[in-house]
Amino acid sequence: MKKTIRTIGLALTLTAGLTGGAVADTIKVGVIAPFSGPFAIWGKQFQEAIKVYVAQHGNKAGEHTVEFIYKDSGGPKPDVAKSLAQELLIKDRVDYLAGFTFTPNALAVAPLINKAKKPAIIFNAATSMITTKSDYFARTGFTLWQVSVPMANWAWDQGIKTVVTAVSDYAPGRDAQNAFKVAFEKKGGKVIDAMQMALSTADFAPFMQQIKDKSPDAVFGFLPVGPPTFAFVKAYNENGLKDAGIKFLGTGETDETGLQALGDGAIGLTTAYHYSATHDSALNKEFTAKVSEMFPGSVTNLASVGAYDGTHLIYKMIEAAGADGAKAMEIAKGLAWESPRGPVSIDVTTRHITQNVYIRRVEKNDAGVLINKEFETVEAVPDLGLAK
Amino acid sequence: MSIIFNILIDGISYGMILFMIAVGLSVTMGLMKVINLAHGGFALLGGAFTHWLTVQAELSFLPAVAIAILGVVIIAILMEFSLFRRIYEFGELEQVLATIGIAFLIIASVNYWLGSTLLAIKFPEYLSGSINLGFRTLPVHRVFVILIGIVVVVALYILIERTRFGVNLRAAVDNRDMAASLGIDTARIYAITFGLGAGLAAFGGILGAELLPIEAYYPLRYMVLFLIVVAVGGMGSILGSFLAAISLGILDTAARYLMPDFSTIIFFSAMMLIFIIRPHGLLGKS
Amino acid sequence: MNTVRTQPDPGNAIMRFLKKRIAVYALLIAISIAVFFLFPYDLGFLTRIIIMMIFVLSLDLILGFAGVATLGHAALYGTGAYMAGLFAVHISASPIVGLGVGALSGAVIAFISALILMRAHGLTLLMLTIAIAEVLKEIANKAQTLTGGADGLSGIVMAPIFGQIEFDFVGQTGYWYSFALLMIVLFFLHIITDSPFGLGLRGIKQSTARMRAIGAPVYWRLVAAYTVSGAIAGIAGALSAQITELVSLNVYDFSLSAEIVIMLILGGAGRLYGALLGTAVFLIVHHTAASVDPFNWLFIIGGLVLGVIFFLPGGLLSFPKKLGWVTTWFSKQPEETPR
Repeated sequence: MKKTIRTIGLALTLTAGLTGGAVADTIKVGVIAPFSGPFAIWGKQFQEAIKVYVAQHGNKAGEHTVEFIYKDSGGPKPDVAKSLAQELLIKDRVDYLAGFTFTPNALAVAPLINKAKKPAIIFNAATSMITTKSDYFARTGFTLWQVSVPMANWAWDQGIKTVVTAVSDYAPGRDAQNAFKVAFEKKGGKVIDAMQMALSTADFAPFMQQIKDKSPDAVFGFLPVGPPTFAFVKAYNENGLKDAGIKFLGTGETDETGLQALGDGAIGLTTAYHYSATHDSALNKEFTAKVSEMFPGSVTNLASVGAYDGTHLIYKMIEAAGADGAKAMEIAKGLAWESPRGPVSIDVTTRHITQNVYIRRVEKNDAGVLINKEFETVEAVPDLGLAK
Repeated sequence: MSIIFNILIDGISYGMILFMIAVGLSVTMGLMKVINLAHGGFALLGGAFTHWLTVQAELSFLPAVAIAILGVVIIAILMEFSLFRRIYEFGELEQVLATIGIAFLIIASVNYWLGSTLLAIKFPEYLSGSINLGFRTLPVHRVFVILIGIVVVVALYILIERTRFGVNLRAAVDNRDMAASLGIDTARIYAITFGLGAGLAAFGGILGAELLPIEAYYPLRYMVLFLIVVAVGGMGSILGSFLAAISLGILDTAARYLMPDFSTIIFFSAMMLIFIIRPHGLLGKS
Repeated sequence: MNTVRTQPDPGNAIMRFLKKRIAVYALLIAISIAVFFLFPYDLGFLTRIIIMMIFVLSLDLILGFAGVATLGHAALYGTGAYMAGLFAVHISASPIVGLGVGALSGAVIAFISALILMRAHGLTLLMLTIAIAEVLKEIANKAQTLTGGADGLSGIVMAPIFGQIEFDFVGQTGYWYSFALLMIVLFFLHIITDSPFGLGLRGIKQSTARMRAIGAPVYWRLVAAYTVSGAIAGIAGALSAQITELVSLNVYDFSLSAEIVIMLILGGAGRLYGALLGTAVFLIVHHTAASVDPFNWLFIIGGLVLGVIFFLPGGLLSFPKKLGWVTTWFSKQPEETPR
């Protein structure tokens, strides 16, 4: 009994592999992302960017037709993500996986893609070590080290000597804090205090008061996009830190999807990040215009550009290697292209995207809309988190 | 010394916001004895309406708040007629399920209508900025919430303890059949009280939005927080909720000043301790 | 049959038990085989349903039978998952021993928390269960060097079951492994709920005062029931850790605790088959709705929950009976007087 089942199963897997490998056919890409729940915005941004890429470039990559299948992982739920990946690989017979907002969800599919030898392109999940868990991972998002280190360096160059770091008390927050501290102290700066704030914190006034009492030159913050960031920035303004001359340094806090909600208090916030919706290039203008044409009311943010470039990478991989995962990964390594965020390339060893990091300031444009205005560029920054 | 003042000032102002966002629940769940997990849903509706009115329709703050609260009260009373009237009779668990189901529907509706991003409320100029207290500053917005909180707790206390309506309400909750046989229109009393609870929920949602910003998943994100305030205060006691909100605010703030790394653990451990010492909450009756 | 009652004979008791249950067990096994062949590509999802069924069964014992309301059952599931995960990473990759570790740690944490919880009632009880889960979640978040924090505990690689059967890519091993456990748990729970202990729990649910009056040790019975429930929840958590090969903070989520309560009430609390049915229906509806329209599936779940609560107060399991109810309701309708 057990044996027959086993053989049938094996046969199924084999046929799955074989049909996937044929030429001049449809190659499917399974996108795993949150489309429901508090993080649904991620899935929405991913999906819109993919649709825009397909609208601009057609659904053909070389001689292959590309088809996307979307699966909802809810929040950070590795058990769900893994069973969805299984379903995509076995039932829908996808040859590529993509998406992944949260680190545990990406990590959960590592054993699967290792066995199936299918590439998984991470659009966001930002912990450095993910790509070391499988040779079939590549990432088109960013890592916290990649953006926090340039922020620290820039701050030092501006004459900022003392900083208090205030991050959300969870793995990505600690990652950002370490990155900033290491880089800033290497330069000779001093991190006076490293505060970790519980994720459930609603009232940031106590933290702001403590920062104010320590009177550093600047505060470096990292919080998840959404309510915590909103309340943190509000508290920064209301408690008079800005007036006391304590500069705000951040990374993704001024994300385009939540920027207008922050209101005028956000003006002047300085952040280091890899993408701004107002990045000044023809390609980005085309991208953002197409997004607002196809999805009125939508804006582009880090999730959009991660998915857009991820889709580009998958197209290039399919074009050259079809369904051959191992070959596709070889194509990906070292691939360079012009992205809406600027010039990018995939690092040969880390399989993470090398990109410019921009220093930006929140400003109000002529239409009265808040934007992240880039004013300085740190060129070709790789992931700095693995060498730490 | 200044740290003690800081803890008290930040703690009381945070506690007042906690009170304002939970007072509606204190009315529906505490007074009416219905486990109402849809409370956050009414707060969300209030916030979402105000967002739409102030940002999209560019109405000024006060009329927007008035319209939003009125809208929520009307929706709540319609729901009372159609749904809650039957939910009162359910067992505890069925109430949990039914009201969570209603919360789901409200979330899904707001998500469908306005999406899942933050729904900022445009506060007027006179509520932004800070007041200088000499040794530190305090946001005007918080002073405003503190004053409103005091007004609300006093008004509710008078309404429930000193008016005919309050007497009737307490009678109806204690023994509905007996109250009805004495000629009290219990259905009407219940509907009005429920509407009041929902209106307060909406008001709290709007006032608290600077700290607990409005977005579609608001009812689930802060559900535990609302429940804690009412449970620690004790069922049936508005004053208890008030006391609980202020103490929890001060406790949480103190933890954030003194031992920020363990604030979550301290908060929940303190709550457990209170329940071990006083199983029915601070001012609850068994 | 009467002779059996007057002459208690263990052999006959087992025969009686089997006679009563054998048809259902056969049916469940038949369903599992049918499902296996009908949906060979969905084993990952089906396995997830089975694991949740075990978890919801553990909740049914304490909530459905003993009447103890909880919104923090994830505390027990999560502890089982983390302990089994840590055990697999640092000590031994044996799945069976790992399950034992999950069961034991679930039971231990349940026993300790029951000492506090089983004295509380109503809203206080609900809040205490939530608080315990939240504290455990924060500890797991804090102990990042051990648990990986929000990144998740990775590096779990399971050895073959009994050193023989390897976990395969398609998930066949995982499916049968979980299903075997589900049957064992179900069998065990049938024995418990049929026993005097189980009847005592039902008695406590109906009237604590009456049970006290007849001299039953209510508190310790509840502590024991919660501990058993914790062991089963721990097994479910351990299974999840072994199948996913990763544990993350979501195992302690409030929303998980709330969801399993929904599943249980949906199916019908206090009946073990209700737990199975409710879990299957909730997850299948969720899965289908989420793939049709992920942005708006909450409408469907919200509607489903309200529909069941209002029209099928006994849960989906009471549906066949209710079909009769509908007709009587319509014929009775005009006579009904408003309350």
